[in-house]
Amino acid sequence: MSMTRAELQDAAHKAFDPADLVPDAAKSWGLIAEMGWLMMAVPEELGGLGLGVEAAGVTHMALGRALVPGPAIAQMLVITALTAADGLPERDDLLTQAMGGAVMTASLAGYSVAGGLTCVPDADRASHVLVIEDRRIALMPVDAQTLTARATWDKTRRLFDIAIDASATGFTLAEGDAATALAERLQAQRLFALSGDSLGGADAILRLTIEYLETRRQFDRPLAMFQALKHRVADMKTWLAAAEALFWARGNDPAVTLAEMGALKAHTTTVYRTIAEEAVQLHGGIGLTMEHHCHLFLKRALLNCALGGDADQWEEMAGRQALAQATA
Amino acid sequence: MTDALETLRQDVRRWLAAHAPQGWREYCTSNEAFLDLQRRWFATLAGGGYAVPHWPAEWPGGGRSLAEQKVIYEEFARADTPRLLLSFMSTYHAASTLFEWGSAAQQQRYIPRILEGEIWCQGFSEPNAGSDLASLKTRAERQGDVYIVNGQKLWSTMGQFADKCLLLVRTSNEGAKQAGLTYLLLDLKARGVTARPIHQIHGDEEFAELFLDNVEIPVEDRLGAEGQGWAVAQSTLSSERGLTLLELSARMRGALWRIADLIRAGGRENDPGILRDFGRLATKIDATCAIADQFLANRIAGEERVGDASIVKLSYSRTLREFTLLGLRLGGMDAQYHEPITFGGGMETGNWMADFMNSYAWTIAGGSDEVQRNIIAERLLNMPREPKSWTLAGDAA
Repeated sequence: MSMTRAELQDAAHKAFDPADLVPDAAKSWGLIAEMGWLMMAVPEELGGLGLGVEAAGVTHMALGRALVPGPAIAQMLVITALTAADGLPERDDLLTQAMGGAVMTASLAGYSVAGGLTCVPDADRASHVLVIEDRRIALMPVDAQTLTARATWDKTRRLFDIAIDASATGFTLAEGDAATALAERLQAQRLFALSGDSLGGADAILRLTIEYLETRRQFDRPLAMFQALKHRVADMKTWLAAAEALFWARGNDPAVTLAEMGALKAHTTTVYRTIAEEAVQLHGGIGLTMEHHCHLFLKRALLNCALGGDADQWEEMAGRQALAQATA
Repeated sequence: MTDALETLRQDVRRWLAAHAPQGWREYCTSNEAFLDLQRRWFATLAGGGYAVPHWPAEWPGGGRSLAEQKVIYEEFARADTPRLLLSFMSTYHAASTLFEWGSAAQQQRYIPRILEGEIWCQGFSEPNAGSDLASLKTRAERQGDVYIVNGQKLWSTMGQFADKCLLLVRTSNEGAKQAGLTYLLLDLKARGVTARPIHQIHGDEEFAELFLDNVEIPVEDRLGAEGQGWAVAQSTLSSERGLTLLELSARMRGALWRIADLIRAGGRENDPGILRDFGRLATKIDATCAIADQFLANRIAGEERVGDASIVKLSYSRTLREFTLLGLRLGGMDAQYHEPITFGGGMETGNWMADFMNSYAWTIAGGSDEVQRNIIAERLLNMPREPKSWTLAGDAA
């Protein structure tokens, strides 16, 4: 199955109208499952759609653009791990459930904490959670007793801490070297997804900001006529366009390294944060109220900056790699 | 990448291994050496069929698709060959304008001489007509079979070394300011022409100013009709099709080792702050390469939008400033002591103060960053233009 990026974008926009921000969580999740987005990366022989990086990129951008709630990124990590678990007898059954929308979640944190997981979306609705350890990746049942809801400033996501009971039995998806390799793949997938979410959100809030500048009049003219503001918008558009080009270039590069994906995530989340910061400023008084949508984008941007490892961590790693490679 | 393009890439790479000049950076310590190198390298490229790949197929060395040109320039960047600075205006601006507007006689007269090494420059900007080019004042009066031209031109790239000049002049003050412009081909050896090099802040002399004092230009050396100069000039200004920024971005990527060397020389390989700055810069350069690449792909597919080129240029110019500033910073006091420059050495020579100063060339020349931002805001994003009429308090009514 193959679709062009434009066809994919068209389908995604029909599902999630960018004008309908933060759509209802339950309806959104149903729609995501119905659209087949949870099965898109799964090979056709396992019942999936066998779509590649273009579909993943477009999907995460669409989810970011409308500030869609829900555990899509985490669920897709579980699905990737299940797809790789060739030897597990229960694999096909679990995969079918996960692709159908039965929530199975995973941590979106950039680091691990001893004895538990942090930054796990929608864990209260999940039957299982992915646990990535040094030499083992497992799918563990979620025990409601071990959950702590963490109210983030970003109200479009619901994050939990989970204490892991080491004696509980779960499904082992990978062990040893295979687990190490899979863990790196999952990390790269999470970074790419967060990047897509950020670019979609940045695009949406930039458009809304331009609309606002064109509508709002002061000194007998639309704000959009003032060059001081236009130039800031032009800079934002330039950062966004270049970041998006990098997103597709790295996503489609078979030789891309983890450090490069991390630097991509650092870059795209920084662009998102900067554009969302500017959006609040350019909206003036209304921008710093709860009544307006600016803050929703700013808070999701700031959360995306922190999830999956922060810019300091990834830029340092990317710098180390570039230094090792850069010889005359 | 198709097989044919990959074959071309290998051909170019082999050819460059045998023909690309070696040690040219060390050699170019004077304008004389720069001119000598540029002339020899252009002749070598012309002989090899790589000097004018963008020309139409009926001219020798032409007929390459944009995808093929991209491969050729990527290989030039990879081999760190000298950029064709001296002949750039000739092969792009002059040739493209002649292809579009020149009569058969004008093309036959001027195009072959470009391949033989004749150098063209551009006489558009003036002291009081920069971003607002159409307000230019250099005057041409028709007298029989000649125009008599008086005025001053500025920022003529390579003007002091050129043989010919693409000249935009005013033949009328009636109507819109664009409607009074006419396009002429000027022989710089004509009587009344004086070219004076301009010393840029880093010491190179890539530009000249031209003084025109009762210069006679035959009417047959006019391109297009009288009053059509603005339209002809648009061909000149859009003659370069996105390859230069693609090539320059690739060269900046390839020059990262110069900063890496500074980090290693300073023993700062484990300094987290420096590593982050370096990692961030490498990422921004990759983003610039990616947007330049995407721009060209869109152009090949016929999907380019007005303002897309401005995004590429702004992306490149800002990133180049960061690149040179990081080099300058890591260079410490060493970078403060004056070192002789490499003439025509490109944007990244490792002479950090010179490189930093020279990076302004891309934030100012060819449409300043501010003009690019106007284009992005007003033409790509359709934000409203500012009102045209205004008065300052205190101006006479």
